[in-house]
Amino acid sequence: MAANNPFPLSRDALLGCYRRMRTIREFEDRLHIDFGRGDIPGFVHLYAGEEAAAVGIMSHLGDGDRIASTHRGHGHCIAKGVDVGAMMKEIYGRKGGSCEGKGGSMHIADLSKGMMGANGILGAGAPLVCGAALAAKFRGKGEIAICFVGDGASNQGTFLESLNLAAIWNLPALFVVENNGYAESTSRDYATAVNSYVDRASGFGLPGVVVDGTDFFAVHEAAGEIIRRAREGGGPSLLECKMVRFHGHFEGDAQTYRANGELEDLRANHDCLKKLAAQLTSAGVASAAELADIDRQVLALIEQAVVDAKAAPLPSAADLLTDVYVKY
Amino acid sequence: MSNPASGNPCVGIIANPVSARDVRRVIANASTLQLTDRVNIILRALAALRALGVRQVLMMPDKVGISSLLLRGLARERTLGNAMPDVAFLTMEITSSAEDTRCAVRLMRAAGVCSILVLGGDGTHRAVVRELYLGSTADAPRIPIAGLSTGTNNAFPEMRESTVTALAVGLHATGRIPAERALAGNKLLEIDVNGGAIRDIAIVDAAVAFDRFIGARAMWKPDNLHSLFLAFGEPTAVGLSAIGGLLQPVSPRAPGGLAIRFGDGRAGSAGAIELTVPFAPGLIRSVQIAAWTAIEAGQALPVDLPGGSMALDGERELVFAEGDAVTVTLRENAFPTVDVPGCLHFAAQHGLFRHPATSQ
Amino acid sequence: MARRISLKTAVNEAIDQAMQLDPTVIMLGEDIVGGAGAPGEMDAWGGVLGVTKGLYAKHGDRLLDTPLSESAYVGAAIGAACCGMRPIAELMFIDFMGVCFDQIFNQAAKFRYMFGGKAETPVVIRCMVGAGFRAAAQHSQMLTPLFTHIPGLKVVCPSTPYDTKGLLMQSIRDNDPVIFCEHKNLYALEGDVPEAPYAIPFGEANVVREGRDVTIVTYGLMVHRSLEAAATLAKEGIDVEIVDLRTLSPLDIDTVLESVTRTGRLVCVDEASPRCNIATDIAAQVAMHAFKALKAQIEQVAPPHTPVPFSPTLEDLYIPSAAQIAQAVRRTTGGK
Repeated sequence: MAANNPFPLSRDALLGCYRRMRTIREFEDRLHIDFGRGDIPGFVHLYAGEEAAAVGIMSHLGDGDRIASTHRGHGHCIAKGVDVGAMMKEIYGRKGGSCEGKGGSMHIADLSKGMMGANGILGAGAPLVCGAALAAKFRGKGEIAICFVGDGASNQGTFLESLNLAAIWNLPALFVVENNGYAESTSRDYATAVNSYVDRASGFGLPGVVVDGTDFFAVHEAAGEIIRRAREGGGPSLLECKMVRFHGHFEGDAQTYRANGELEDLRANHDCLKKLAAQLTSAGVASAAELADIDRQVLALIEQAVVDAKAAPLPSAADLLTDVYVKY
Repeated sequence: MSNPASGNPCVGIIANPVSARDVRRVIANASTLQLTDRVNIILRALAALRALGVRQVLMMPDKVGISSLLLRGLARERTLGNAMPDVAFLTMEITSSAEDTRCAVRLMRAAGVCSILVLGGDGTHRAVVRELYLGSTADAPRIPIAGLSTGTNNAFPEMRESTVTALAVGLHATGRIPAERALAGNKLLEIDVNGGAIRDIAIVDAAVAFDRFIGARAMWKPDNLHSLFLAFGEPTAVGLSAIGGLLQPVSPRAPGGLAIRFGDGRAGSAGAIELTVPFAPGLIRSVQIAAWTAIEAGQALPVDLPGGSMALDGERELVFAEGDAVTVTLRENAFPTVDVPGCLHFAAQHGLFRHPATSQ
Repeated sequence: MARRISLKTAVNEAIDQAMQLDPTVIMLGEDIVGGAGAPGEMDAWGGVLGVTKGLYAKHGDRLLDTPLSESAYVGAAIGAACCGMRPIAELMFIDFMGVCFDQIFNQAAKFRYMFGGKAETPVVIRCMVGAGFRAAAQHSQMLTPLFTHIPGLKVVCPSTPYDTKGLLMQSIRDNDPVIFCEHKNLYALEGDVPEAPYAIPFGEANVVREGRDVTIVTYGLMVHRSLEAAATLAKEGIDVEIVDLRTLSPLDIDTVLESVTRTGRLVCVDEASPRCNIATDIAAQVAMHAFKALKAQIEQVAPPHTPVPFSPTLEDLYIPSAAQIAQAVRRTTGGK
């Protein structure tokens, strides 16, 4: 580590994390615009505002580590290394998409990157991650698996059953509750009898940690500890990231359930990207010009991804019938 | 101000729903006080306050579960016919951060509470005291606090049954015990950056660390420490103050504090000693001590590290860079707390809980 | 070398040999070992009916007893299948699918298609099916049609020990999710089974009795009821052909069509409830593809559209009998 870098990551790694966070933000903001124009079919659920959690956690993972994501999965995909161009094509329903246009926004997966899929069924990833962690335990290479759920899906039986299973088998499984305060439009306070995810974990004997999910370094440091513990055989834990959602539950959500001025406040005072940029520049690790340069490169990457997606071929009628089975 | 004995005393309660949730749960099996336990602690305190005639309580609201669970609990008590004070939640914007605590203290002060019952760890108590100390004018009446610990890693708040603490608070609030017998003065450390540009406080310890980022806030790596200032340190403590406690104990009620300089970690550094301490619950570590010295109140002591971070009462709070002038000053009798054993001993001596037997 | 073993032993032997041949085969389920964490012996049960008894001694921790938590462990089997393992999850009774159905029909069944052909989910979900055990409405159902309805799942329901071993070996080596249905009233049935490992391909129906006059299409326990009926009918001069489907998805419709084209008469026998079941599917396909070959209207033999009753008197009335099958056959031949 350079003497002038106060952070627990190298300058290159830090700039890489900044670039990934910026890529997620740009990707989502672009989808927001393109969806509004009617270019994108179906539902999209945007991750903008929550980037520090995905990147702070995923910066500790390799391709052999598995994650199961949620309906709000674009950020997890990008942070886990899924190709942005293929993702864009997928969301546009084109050939060459991550899932050849058959999955769409809610089902992007790339098993070669350890990304077991965004999921349209809330809480469904938790049992799958127990299985991925069980497989990792049999392989014995120190790999781990991470389940992401929102605060809403933590009320699913699958989630609670999985905490129990992970605990009794001491699986290298981590449960990340991305707490953005809203289950769709319903507040956490209304929907959750005991409004603490750490309390749920401790009900199963798992340690739970709460971090400020808008602070990259807070997430990165806490995640580093719980991931190290899991790799070394210390078993499962829960990490609650308190974070903010810049967009609605889905695109087209008028968000009238929010307080007046809430969104403006979130964007002004709780923007994880702004915070990271300020931390990097004030510590002298990167100049504002360097970050702006990354921003420009990311913007060009996303623009190119959209151009490529729009130019990509549509699936043909023959594609309708393929890949139901490996072999039937 | 609802002075004690004013006839209608109001007590404030600040309960932090997210204390005892940091990364030490994973690193060292630190305890996690569940929300339901926190709410039950408050319900027991409310019952004790009401029994002594406190009918008004102001609560800090939250969106993290205490308020909603407490409302459910109070509704249940009402249904069962059990007497409870009227609990009003402050009208304030909830940010789910330490700012909520500061805002609640401001509103409670404006509402004239005669004391504030605090449920949380060192960090929560620090946030309350910070607002009371930095946010009030010199001639403003000083509001005492009474602390209840939510965890195992706290040096300031006591581990005590809330019923008992609330009885002491109630005795003081209802004017049954004179302030000079009910309250005790406490020390704190005042932190100043660049001549008042940033002012902060610590009620137990201010640690200077090499890291120049806040991260996950908690301190659990001894190698990261440069120096430590203590308002007090007792040998029975766990955490940073235990370093002083095991080196040269300073009681919370005694004058003076302690400053410690850590070694650079290399074995055999000149004059250095190794000290084994409970660095966190369940985490026994060796720290290298280069030097230590008693400190006196009122002296602004410079931090001689060109760039680093400062952990106040165990959590990294501020980052400073080369060229920043950071000083630490011990203040004595800086804020009052309700002396719980003192109050109850006074009550026993004066028969405050005795009443003539009622004939059946 | 073939020897006579029970269908139950055939299941055990298939899992044993699959585990010997492939280290990625693991098994999860409730009480599949039995006695985990209890003061007595391990392998106390070997499954609720002892089907997996003895496997723990040979394969140890590759058999994992689970909590009563079907969503979690069936989902875990599916997740492990996506990560290089070949898990077998035992769901004690097919009736319990209700508590973990999402993991099966929304997750396992869809991964391959939904992820653009880039996922394989080689998981087997074994379960007991069928009535006759006096186990009442929640432990006796034949829910096979729920699974044949879903693209991405394969559904197997063997009728003999030989088919059971071969089809289970195939299920474990197959790279798609398989629902493997074992009829609890056939566990004691004995038959010739080779000792060496072998696999029977999916999608190949078995003509278990050749005949000229009427085709019965069926599977599972009903194969044996149909054989009984055929023996009775033979004495009346009615020569019945019986097609045992063996795998319901994929479905060997060609063998069915070929047989019906020859006999001109079709009786579909199914232990599943009568609406939208395997029998009605076969009837519809024959009507669509071989209508001109039919000399009589198609008959269905199925239970009434009720839950499975408990009282032995009622349950015996519920399960299709050889007599009911024979009567249906006679209706297609006009009593001949």
